[in-house]
Amino acid sequence: MTMWKRLQTAVGAVALVGLMAGGSAAAFAESAADIAVREAKQYAGTTLTVIWEAGLQSLDPLNFSGPKWEELTGIKLKVVESQVNEMFPKMMQEHRAKTGAYDILNVVPAWMGDLVRAGALEPLDGYVDKYGYREELADIGDVYRENQMRIGDTIYGFPDDGDVLILYYRKDVFEEMGLSVPTTWDEFYDTSKAISDKHAPEMYGAGFMRVRGLLHYFYQERARVEGCKFFDAESMAATINGPGCVKALAGIVKDNTTMPPGVEAWGAIESLAAFNAGTIAMTQWWPPVGRWSAGYGTDTEALSWVPPSVVGGKVGYALPPGGHPQLAAGFSMSVSADSKNKEAAYLFIQWINSKEISLQRVQLPYALRDPFRKSHFESESYQSLWPDAKEYLATLQAGAVTGLLDLSVINTFAYEDALGRGLQAVMGGADPQESLDEVAADWDKVTEKVGIDKQRAAYKQWASKPNAYPN
Amino acid sequence: MTATTMRVGQRANLFADRNFKWLVIAPSIIVLLVVGIYPLVYTGIVSFQQITMMEEDTSWAGFMNYAALFSDGRLWESFGHTFLILAIALPIELVLGLLMAQLFLEKLPGKQVFIALLIIPTVISPIVAGSTWRLMFDNQYGPVNQIIGWFAGEPTAILWITRPEWVYPAILICEVWQWTPFMFLILLAALSNVDRSLIEAAEIDGASFWKIFFRITLPVIRPVMVIAILIRALDLFRIFDIIWAMTKGGPGSITETISIYTYIRAFKEFETSYAGAIAFLVIILLSVIVIFALKRVEIAR
Repeated sequence: MTMWKRLQTAVGAVALVGLMAGGSAAAFAESAADIAVREAKQYAGTTLTVIWEAGLQSLDPLNFSGPKWEELTGIKLKVVESQVNEMFPKMMQEHRAKTGAYDILNVVPAWMGDLVRAGALEPLDGYVDKYGYREELADIGDVYRENQMRIGDTIYGFPDDGDVLILYYRKDVFEEMGLSVPTTWDEFYDTSKAISDKHAPEMYGAGFMRVRGLLHYFYQERARVEGCKFFDAESMAATINGPGCVKALAGIVKDNTTMPPGVEAWGAIESLAAFNAGTIAMTQWWPPVGRWSAGYGTDTEALSWVPPSVVGGKVGYALPPGGHPQLAAGFSMSVSADSKNKEAAYLFIQWINSKEISLQRVQLPYALRDPFRKSHFESESYQSLWPDAKEYLATLQAGAVTGLLDLSVINTFAYEDALGRGLQAVMGGADPQESLDEVAADWDKVTEKVGIDKQRAAYKQWASKPNAYPN
Repeated sequence: MTATTMRVGQRANLFADRNFKWLVIAPSIIVLLVVGIYPLVYTGIVSFQQITMMEEDTSWAGFMNYAALFSDGRLWESFGHTFLILAIALPIELVLGLLMAQLFLEKLPGKQVFIALLIIPTVISPIVAGSTWRLMFDNQYGPVNQIIGWFAGEPTAILWITRPEWVYPAILICEVWQWTPFMFLILLAALSNVDRSLIEAAEIDGASFWKIFFRITLPVIRPVMVIAILIRALDLFRIFDIIWAMTKGGPGSITETISIYTYIRAFKEFETSYAGAIAFLVIILLSVIVIFALKRVEIAR
């Protein structure tokens, strides 16, 4: 063997060994969840406090992720439940008082900017790199990753809930009446009216949520579909009382006439109950209604309150009229800047948000966490949960592409509250134009207090996002 | 022991003897100052600043927040809503409470059991009472509409907490249901202390029920009744829980009372200093009303 051949053989052998070593490293590479567990064990015996939305949302950390995390790491999880509308004030109050009451925060993405400006959230980039989580973040749906994770270029939370308001409709009724799924709100009214005219009072065309605190999500979506802009981007005068905005609200009032009597007072439960009972043919809801109307998991104790579905197998899924569903609320997992256990808190959110654990969480029957990773939408196990689950996931994924973000500027909460008040007045019989004029006046006052220049910069940043307004 | 030391000891004893009463009450005064006066003073200080929960700006604002109160239409509307509820609920609670107390003065079978049952609403947390009544008034599942429907002979869908014309009756029903028993209990105790011999003497003299009530019973129960009215009036002026649970101040802002409006400004719009100014305005107003009322009825006498 010549010297050259020997060298070639040696290099080849080294390369082979290298390849094998690399290959085996890849084969045995720890997942983000495993890394989080391994690192978190050094904090065994500590207790992490997390603020979580009260009710079904909290069953995830109480029944599943909390006990599992404690079993794996020895770290206890204390869950503080709160109504969603009270979470932001609670987080801000604790932060201002520097109590360190919460280690982990469930942050509605629209409020993330305000929390970051107040210094309440811990920047996460350092932890992400330290604990090797960046690769798994790429699996999160684009719209959530691009809009609900960073402020500026810094990561402050991990998108953890794919909230999107899609349309659920009765395929059998549509087929029987020769109807097609409405693609505009005018078509929606005609469709709903046709069904009500034929079937009411046994069945109405539709039934939507109309109560304060929820209606503003539906309104924000529909108003933007009708061409409404929230502000004039230069003067920052509120334009929430513009023609498109008023048209949308008047349309909601008109649609109510095709819905069951008293729909003006309907919340989430009323519309869920009516849809499952088959007394309405269409509703727009967060993703869980798709699972529950199919009967998935409703035999579990936690969901014993969900009215039994008589519409399983008859439910179709579609984007709402206009094709731009609201990405309403949602949650991101963040670490409190005031936490005394930041490393452990971070490791928990990495673990719970990881591909492996989050896939289990979004399939919990009682969970209100909805698919938000590409791997969730493509999961074979999820797609086989009920016969139409694949179609359901495809619709959620489509909604996550064209969906519209909740308004997020400085002091978002105050704008939401004023809007909610105005919309509620309209549900009580007030004139849409007059009510929206009042909302606009309230918004102008908030803007003035925040500072027009500051708010303009915040609004322009939000409005420049592809999912702020329909293209 | 020197003469000087003895003199110092005697002086100390003398001081303790002379000021014993002050030394005894000093701890309670200190506690009162810390838990009562300090928050008041702090609220006063905050009301002259421009603190919001969104900014950590503690700079002074002078009277800016107080000046803004006068041009805040929603604030004065909320005062109007508060007085409306007070003006309707208080007389109803007083009259019903008095009638019930009068009824329970008589010997009735199972009287103690009935009294115990009647006061149950008062011991329930107002937020629970509000939530319960919100469910009772639910247009779809609530029993109120169902019962009305039985009488009407057709399904009824009154939107009690959504329609402006129904929302006040709904709130007042809940409020009167919860607090009339309080009036009843206080007035029953007062009526029980009326000297029966005076009433019997008047009855022998042929005085009518109303004459006896106005000339004998009312003057005797008046001090207790005034205190009961004052307590309820103050409670009604601060009413929050029931309305928050039922309507959150809606529809729109039509049932926003002064407490609800203050809460919204403080915890929904995060204007800490402005909410402090409203709170201080309310404290001043209530103090003036209470002092005036107490003087008017010469309660101390």
